[in-house]
Amino acid sequence: MAAPGPGEYFSVGSHVSCITCLGQRLQGEVVAFDYQSKMLTLKCASSSGKPNLNDVILINLAYVSDVDIINDRTETPPPLASLNVSKLANRARTEKEDKLSQAYAISAGVSVEGQQLFQTIHKTIKDCKWQEKNIIVMDDVVISPPYQVDNCKGKEGSALSHVRKIVEKHFRDLESQKSMQRSQAQQTQKDSTLSS
Amino acid sequence: MSMKAGGNRSKTGSGNASGAHASGSGGNSGGRPNLGRGRHSGKGPTAVFFNGVYANMRMVHFLTSVVGTKCELKVKNGAVYEGVFKTYGPECDLVLDAAHRKSAELSIGPRKEDIMESIIFKASDVVVVTFKDVDLSFAKKVSPDADNFTDAAVGGWINGEHKEKDLKPWDGGETHNSDSLESLDTDVSNGWDPNDMFKYNEEKYGVLSTYDSSLATYTVPLERDNSEEFLKREARAAQLAEEIEASAAYKARAALENDERSEEDKYTAVVRGERETHTLSSREYFSPGQRNREGMSWGPGRQNFPRLSQSSVGPWTPRPGPHDYSSNSGADQRVVNGGPPRMSPKSQRTPRTHRGPPCRTSGIPSGVDLISHNAAGDVPVTPPTRNSSSGGTWSSVVSGAHRPRSPRQNSVGGASPGSSSLSPQIGAAPVETLAAPTSASPIAASTAPNMVASSSGDAKECRIQENKQTSPSANKENIKPLDSSPSISRPVCKGPPSMASGHRKQIDNLKKFSVDFRLQSSSNPDPTLDQMMTKPPRDPADKPKDLPTDKTSTVGRDGTEEGVAVIAASGLGSATASSTTTNTNKPGSPAALSLSPSTLDIKRTGMDVTSQGVQTTGTSTFSGPKHEEKEDKKEAVQDQVGKSTLNPNANEFKPRFNTQPKPANTPTPPRPQGQPSPSILVQQPPTIYGQPVCFPQMYPLTSVSPGVQKSIIWKSPAMYQVQMPHMTVSQSKPYRPGKVSNMPQQRSDQTMMHPATAAGPPIVAPSPAYTAQYFTCSPQQFTSQPLVQQMTHYQSQAQHVFSPVMQSSARMMASTHGQPSLVSSSTAQYPEQTHTMYMSPGPMPQQYAHSSAALHPHPQHPQPSATPTGQAQQGGPPQHGGPPSHPAASPVQHPQAAAAVAAQALHLANQTSQQQMYSALAHTPPSMTPGPNSQSPQASFPSAQQTVYIHPQQVQHGYNPNHMAHVQQAHMQSGIIPSHHPAPTHPPMMLMTTQGHPGVPQPPMPQTALNPIPVSSTTHFSYLAHSQVQPHHQQQL
Repeated sequence: MAAPGPGEYFSVGSHVSCITCLGQRLQGEVVAFDYQSKMLTLKCASSSGKPNLNDVILINLAYVSDVDIINDRTETPPPLASLNVSKLANRARTEKEDKLSQAYAISAGVSVEGQQLFQTIHKTIKDCKWQEKNIIVMDDVVISPPYQVDNCKGKEGSALSHVRKIVEKHFRDLESQKSMQRSQAQQTQKDSTLSS
Repeated sequence: MSMKAGGNRSKTGSGNASGAHASGSGGNSGGRPNLGRGRHSGKGPTAVFFNGVYANMRMVHFLTSVVGTKCELKVKNGAVYEGVFKTYGPECDLVLDAAHRKSAELSIGPRKEDIMESIIFKASDVVVVTFKDVDLSFAKKVSPDADNFTDAAVGGWINGEHKEKDLKPWDGGETHNSDSLESLDTDVSNGWDPNDMFKYNEEKYGVLSTYDSSLATYTVPLERDNSEEFLKREARAAQLAEEIEASAAYKARAALENDERSEEDKYTAVVRGERETHTLSSREYFSPGQRNREGMSWGPGRQNFPRLSQSSVGPWTPRPGPHDYSSNSGADQRVVNGGPPRMSPKSQRTPRTHRGPPCRTSGIPSGVDLISHNAAGDVPVTPPTRNSSSGGTWSSVVSGAHRPRSPRQNSVGGASPGSSSLSPQIGAAPVETLAAPTSASPIAASTAPNMVASSSGDAKECRIQENKQTSPSANKENIKPLDSSPSISRPVCKGPPSMASGHRKQIDNLKKFSVDFRLQSSSNPDPTLDQMMTKPPRDPADKPKDLPTDKTSTVGRDGTEEGVAVIAASGLGSATASSTTTNTNKPGSPAALSLSPSTLDIKRTGMDVTSQGVQTTGTSTFSGPKHEEKEDKKEAVQDQVGKSTLNPNANEFKPRFNTQPKPANTPTPPRPQGQPSPSILVQQPPTIYGQPVCFPQMYPLTSVSPGVQKSIIWKSPAMYQVQMPHMTVSQSKPYRPGKVSNMPQQRSDQTMMHPATAAGPPIVAPSPAYTAQYFTCSPQQFTSQPLVQQMTHYQSQAQHVFSPVMQSSARMMASTHGQPSLVSSSTAQYPEQTHTMYMSPGPMPQQYAHSSAALHPHPQHPQPSATPTGQAQQGGPPQHGGPPSHPAASPVQHPQAAAAVAAQALHLANQTSQQQMYSALAHTPPSMTPGPNSQSPQASFPSAQQTVYIHPQQVQHGYNPNHMAHVQQAHMQSGIIPSHHPAPTHPPMMLMTTQGHPGVPQPPMPQTALNPIPVSSTTHFSYLAHSQVQPHHQQQL
């Protein structure tokens, strides 16, 4: 092995913190470290708070300072599982397509609501795409701005009714979300007032 | 691409040793940029070291596992780029796809023009990369081939995390153990009662379920009318259905479904070993597709064996929509039963044959040219395969000993046609019986195989003919005999109940038999020697063939006195009452039984059926109503079924037939020609003798042979190569050409027949349809079952030839006798002729050559006549002495034993005389041709036959010249025939001939032309020997 094992400098599993040259403080559990490229990988808790997910950061140690090992771990790291490369490749492709599709919509001047709706539909029905400002679902249903339930046009059938349900639910959830935020905001205001 | 490369590399990194390979391959196939780097790090699979990051297993693993996730990459100047992580380089250069520079404004996403296809960031520019909300276990996978539910697999993972988990033994508790678990085992009820389901549906969903198969609630009934359009569509649907049902995949699935063998039976190492070895050996010859089919067929075959010969047949029958197949398969299966190896090959082949037959039948009835063509095509295809095998057989023939086996194999493959197989078997059986029932068993076995093979080949032909003419009858006959024989044999020997044990026993018996058989064969100079000799050269094909034969023989022995008895039984059965004989035969050897039984059954029990079938065929051909044919088919099916009920084996046999075809495929390409010729010869002799019926049958058989010939043509190149070494081969080659030419004709005739019959009705125009059919058929055949079938045909043909030779003339005689009554009889006749030829030759090599030569010519002749099928061929009847002779023939068969010798003698005499006769006939046929389509084809066949006959003569007289002449003549004849026949059918015929030559044949043709020279030298010798031999034959006669 040309490069030293990951454990020689940063043992896998140990917690490290550092500050980048841009002033950003990073902390996490060492997943991997490559000496030659000075790349350190840290695993952190997900910023969105999802338990199954992690935020992972790849740090170039050439641009960090104050590297500090918070606690070291001497146990041998668990073995690595084999990876399904085709699965990864598919994910990369779909992610890219999604992003490009989204970019297409944005450049077409689609409203934020429309984009959100598109994302919502896309979660359920993969077969949806932008056509100018219209959302085409399964080549069957056309949703034109302002993307309300009444804007769903297409052949009467299960597809249309299904899409309408999705759209309806999307806006309903949006509404409830807003009301939630308002109530929360109000709550915070009250709290602040109370505390003050 | 880069992704893949990255992935591979990551794997390599994580996997070290294994990783090296992965990385190497990955680098080659992976992204180009990465590849370049990858090469730096590790060139090729041999490079174990990886540069940079690639050497860091954990880094590679991480980077790979985040491929395809969105990330924000911050560079030195503070700019942030967002994109989809695509891959990375060995220097930890990172590639982002669809990346854009993230602006300070959080608001909206990037615009289209802001996104870059991909950006490569140098590691030195990267400050930090953030992957948000990554599922690190996303790509983790358990290797697909690993069992995910082993303790290790279950314990090693928790919710996708690779953690150790303590496994605790499960304690279901006493109550569970006592109640629930046992109840599962003891619960006889198979799920819900339908009424409960109906009730539940009604209550829960308000849906009222019924048993109404029309599903009136869900769909609209099909409106049937008699419009041409509807009929066409219906025919098309039927055709498609048959094609599907004839497909190997379908059969395989059906076999799985119908496989009643226990898991133990299926997977017991012992059973498997034998079968596999057999299959493997046979497989070598078979094409991949065939192999699969074989495998499939094997499964059924096994099942069948244990259950009953019938049972084995049963599965098959279901598959092959065509009952004919079932019958054929039944014969094949029997053979197979005789020997597992055979079974597999046969089964493989049989499927094809099945396809062919079904197609034909379906095509005929529907008037669909395609189907008939397919059948014809299939047949042709098989011939090629057989030819290849035959090539081996021929070589073996040269050696002398080879013939028997190869013939068997060939016969098995080619023989798939139950009828033909039957006839050969019958012939063989008689001989065996005559020689010595028990002691003869080896011989019989050897002969039996040959017989079977020949019979199978004949059967195919017969089937074809029958199909065309009276497919039902032939099928029925085949089925019946097969069924009866199998059922009997099984009960006597092992009984249906002991499925697994029976299989194993059979296998053991077969194994023993193979050993014994060899010994016995050795005792029998010709057969054993030939077999031995043949084995080495033919190794794969021969072995399988031998095994099957051995098995069959062994089975027969085991069952009762049977080994011999079986073979003999077949003969006896044919000679004596089919039913009584069938019992003995059944136990003895499936193959023999199948052949003999089929013949017997066909002749006697089946006599009515066969005669009917023949008649029907005749009528159908003459009347030409497709519907009639269909009806016949149906009837045949029904009859078969009925017979099957009598003899459950019927269905099973069908499968076997399939199997038989398979073996044939691999083994003898060259022989196919020979086979066809033999059949032809036989047929001719019968006609001369005054066994018109036989001839018609023979013709059908010959029609099959045509397919073989075609196949031969295809394989001819290969065959030639193989044969080249062997003198006989060369001879066969010259003959082949002739045969080939004949074959096309025959095929055309067959197809013609179908069309004619079909055309008679309405759907397809006769001549056009025929031509089209031919063409279509050939393609279909080639495409669908091509190789295998051809192979089988060849083998079968070769086998036929060999079998005849190997088998005693007496058998032949018997077979011939039996044959007259049915198609099988015709096949039997062929064998007889060949046998006589062989017998007289005494010298193995020479005889073989002679036989081959004679056979080839004969086949050609017979084929033509055969295709016309007596009835259809007006010319045929006159020559033969009229269809009525069939009945007579059957009687003759009975006398067979005694009469057989005389008959053989007659045959020999007839042959010479026949040749002349044929020539005359051939000429006459043209005159006959004026008749409708059916006639014209027949006429053309006669002409072909004439040529064939001439060939034999020529061979005998002028060796080299003759060969050349033969070939040329054959070609010429084919061409001539058309000219002779003014009728529209002629064109089709021409097309067929031409097709055969051009399509596959053409290549062969040149070869044949080339071959003649080398062959001529060899052939000369062989001919000389032959000439000598021939005299002997004559003397004998």
